Amino acid sequence: MSTDHCENPLHADYYADTSVHHSAEVIENVQVAEGTWRVRFRCPEMASKCKPGQFIMLKITDRDDPLIGRPLAVFEITPDEHGVPTDLDAVYLVKGNLTTRLVDVRAGQTLDVWGPLGNGFLPQPTRHLIMVAGGIGQTPFVTLAKEYLGLANYGRDCPQADKVTLCYGARNEGLLAGVETFEAVPGLDVRLCTDDGSLGHHGLVTDVLKQVLEDDKQAHGSNEGVRVVCCGPEPMMEAVAAVSKSWEVACQVSLETPMACGIGICFTCVTKVLQDDGSWDYKRTCVEGPVFDASKIVWH
Amino acid sequence: MTNPSATPNLQVQLGRLTLPNPILVASGTFGYAREMEGIVDLSLLGGIVPKTITTEMRVGNAPHRTVETSSGLLNSIGLDNDGIDAFISHHLPYLSKQSAPLIVSIAGSSADDYVSLASRLAEQGGIDALELNISCPNVAHGVDFGSNPALCEQVVRGVRNSCDIPVLAKLTPNVTSVVEIADGAAQGGADAVCLTNTLLGMAIDWKKRQPILGNDVGGLSGPAIKPVSLRCVFQVARAVDVPIIGIGGIANLDDVMQFLVAGASAVQIGTANYYDPTISMKLIEQLPEALNTLGVSTVTEVVGTVTSNKS
Repeated sequence: MSTDHCENPLHADYYADTSVHHSAEVIENVQVAEGTWRVRFRCPEMASKCKPGQFIMLKITDRDDPLIGRPLAVFEITPDEHGVPTDLDAVYLVKGNLTTRLVDVRAGQTLDVWGPLGNGFLPQPTRHLIMVAGGIGQTPFVTLAKEYLGLANYGRDCPQADKVTLCYGARNEGLLAGVETFEAVPGLDVRLCTDDGSLGHHGLVTDVLKQVLEDDKQAHGSNEGVRVVCCGPEPMMEAVAAVSKSWEVACQVSLETPMACGIGICFTCVTKVLQDDGSWDYKRTCVEGPVFDASKIVWH
Repeated sequence: MTNPSATPNLQVQLGRLTLPNPILVASGTFGYAREMEGIVDLSLLGGIVPKTITTEMRVGNAPHRTVETSSGLLNSIGLDNDGIDAFISHHLPYLSKQSAPLIVSIAGSSADDYVSLASRLAEQGGIDALELNISCPNVAHGVDFGSNPALCEQVVRGVRNSCDIPVLAKLTPNVTSVVEIADGAAQGGADAVCLTNTLLGMAIDWKKRQPILGNDVGGLSGPAIKPVSLRCVFQVARAVDVPIIGIGGIANLDDVMQFLVAGASAVQIGTANYYDPTISMKLIEQLPEALNTLGVSTVTEVVGTVTSNKS
């Protein structure tokens, strides 16, 4: 980094240059948990480019309310019978203007979709990948688990991890979404928890993370080679970042900030990111994230 | 008799500025264009107006920076940009090599600031026009030069005299008489006026008793403001002898044609880029057919041809 860069920090050279924008036919749209649905749509060009941790922007075709598209994380990249990526799945919590209308969309209807967007998770040598999810934040982790376990290749090489663990928490059992999908991933260690104790550990996902870190340390003498990746509500991500820091393990967070375009042109989705000189600058979550090194985030 | 099947001539002239077609993309809604290179064919655009630049870098306003409203979008980005030095070193080399005309949007804190920004940019070359953003509602003094005809004239004249690049003045609708401001711009020597920037508005979370935007208030854009911008174009076109670029909620070809007949020689697509990233390509493709429908062979033939029901 040059001195100039520090004095006048430039936005990163990340662009949505692999994205496409087109109509995609809905294949199915089904409820998977309390207030939580999974929509599958056909978009071979997008699916073939999509990497774990990327997202798409979505709008219901020919509907102007809502006017603005919404970002949704890609949950699954599904191949056809020849193994060619064909469909994308997004899992969404029904809570806003778009999602309350999206549940009414039926197979055969079309969605306006643009993506894949964001940088996703970059493959990095990892002995033990610990994925920590809260609420609807589990969505990026199916494809990431498969990639690190060597079960899927998303058009790039990824060093395999010896172990991949999912720590997934929600307020209650009914809100845990896609658990069967995770449990069907061979070799993935799934640890669940709920705030009310209705399923799995009764307590916070950070309790589960600490236990996984402790077990790992006991088995290997140290946590060297452990990488934590995290997605969920901001207070939970901040807590996971703090645990990771105190255990001296690398931690990346996938942020979910409100977006208006997803492609870097509106500067809505900014988050405070530390610079090399210790100051902070607003970075666009869509094109410069959504995955950031947790130690660089200035939490609110 | 015009041959309706002929390919119309889309070229338009605004003062000293020639554009290959009248479909441009608006400042602040297209990043620095490179973000869009995978999604649209930049070479087809009638013009590219990158995000407004200022002398010093600005981090911009605190989130929330946008909030959707009925048929519209409120924003208070706050001219988040890296400053002119970073623009010249980082963005201009890419932008100036694009074949589409490049119109650089600048915002100053004083008349001298506008002049020095313009002079710096003129030295670089590769810039087809300057758009003076004297209408940003999201920064202190952002609209000072856009709400007083004499100040507007002063800043336009200052820039006009300081460089040879065509000068456009982007005006705010948040004034009593946009005609008076446009007249000031014309007196100052503007090659065109851009009508309009966003309408000042706000959104409130009443349960929290708190404005939603980090800046409390912001600029409303999108289809919700189209009638207001269209009215501004109509009024100015009939009162002031200055070419016009229409901006405000343009989202389909009907909108484009309404602005052209109202008096705009070209239009800028803004918020629609966010929710329909390839909209500019669709409009450029569809425009010839609409011109054929009117039986004209050039865009210029339809500009300002609306007649008043009162005359």
